[in-house]
Amino acid sequence: MTLRGRTAVRWTVRTLSETCLTVGALIVLFVVYLLFWTGVRADSAMDGEIGKLRHQWATGETTGPGGTPPPDGKRAPGRGPTRDARPRPYTAGASFAVMHIPRLGADWAKPVLEGTTTGVLQRGLGHYDRTAHLGETGNFSVAGHRRTYGDPFKDFPRLRPGDAVVLTDGATWFTYRIDNRPYTTLPGDIGVIDPVPRKSGFNGPGRYLTLTTCEPEWGHSHRLIAWAHLDSTQPVAQGRPSALTG
Amino acid sequence: MYGWIWRHLPGNTWVKALISLVLVLAVVFVLFQYVFPWAEPLLPFNDVTVDQGMAAVR
Repeated sequence: MTLRGRTAVRWTVRTLSETCLTVGALIVLFVVYLLFWTGVRADSAMDGEIGKLRHQWATGETTGPGGTPPPDGKRAPGRGPTRDARPRPYTAGASFAVMHIPRLGADWAKPVLEGTTTGVLQRGLGHYDRTAHLGETGNFSVAGHRRTYGDPFKDFPRLRPGDAVVLTDGATWFTYRIDNRPYTTLPGDIGVIDPVPRKSGFNGPGRYLTLTTCEPEWGHSHRLIAWAHLDSTQPVAQGRPSALTG
Repeated sequence: MYGWIWRHLPGNTWVKALISLVLVLAVVFVLFQYVFPWAEPLLPFNDVTVDQGMAAVR
């Protein structure tokens, strides 16, 4: 082989190895980004959202629709015609509630933000903006990441009937109880967030809650659904509900 | 490629090493800050909703 030929071979082999090394390093870095860095970013974003909410509530401003609803959920008559009877709309991309699910961890608390866009879901759980407001008749539906961005719904399959899903909007604690084992469905099955969700077993209007996340854990072929109904409410002034303290 | 870069960096070996380190860190920063956030939604982990959110997410 001529000297020139050898140089060419050497150049080819070297370039190929360098390319492989570069691609390998890129893949490793991307995995680090997904598994670690998105979690770091999301955890600090979620802590920030919760801190912001608690500060807002401490200074007397609630994010809930129209202040504190009475425990029976009905709006008190005689509230005065000056009050707006319609719930205050949630602001897109802003957090308005904190969710606790004891089954997913005693200290599991995540902010709920309005909307289900990519950017929103990177900072907390997302409320489907066309579904009912917290505690109202209808279906309060929330989506969250199963993996990456803090893995909020990593242990979703462990949810069981009777598990508590507790939310607060700063004025009221809402305790929902799960009614089914996680239900697997297709991504286009929007009936699961209907006011009376299809296939949920609920057969009349009520105050429901739906949680959605992806299935399988790292895939996107299906969705995992959990349904719950409103079990009880209590004003924040009465302390944390028994589902959280017990 | 890497040999070419190394040969074109100025200074002695220590200066070259230092500049290389800075370059590597800059590349990692750009990847984490701009490239990966752009590439990540193309992967399936984002699809957690059952409705129009899909279109926005995919």
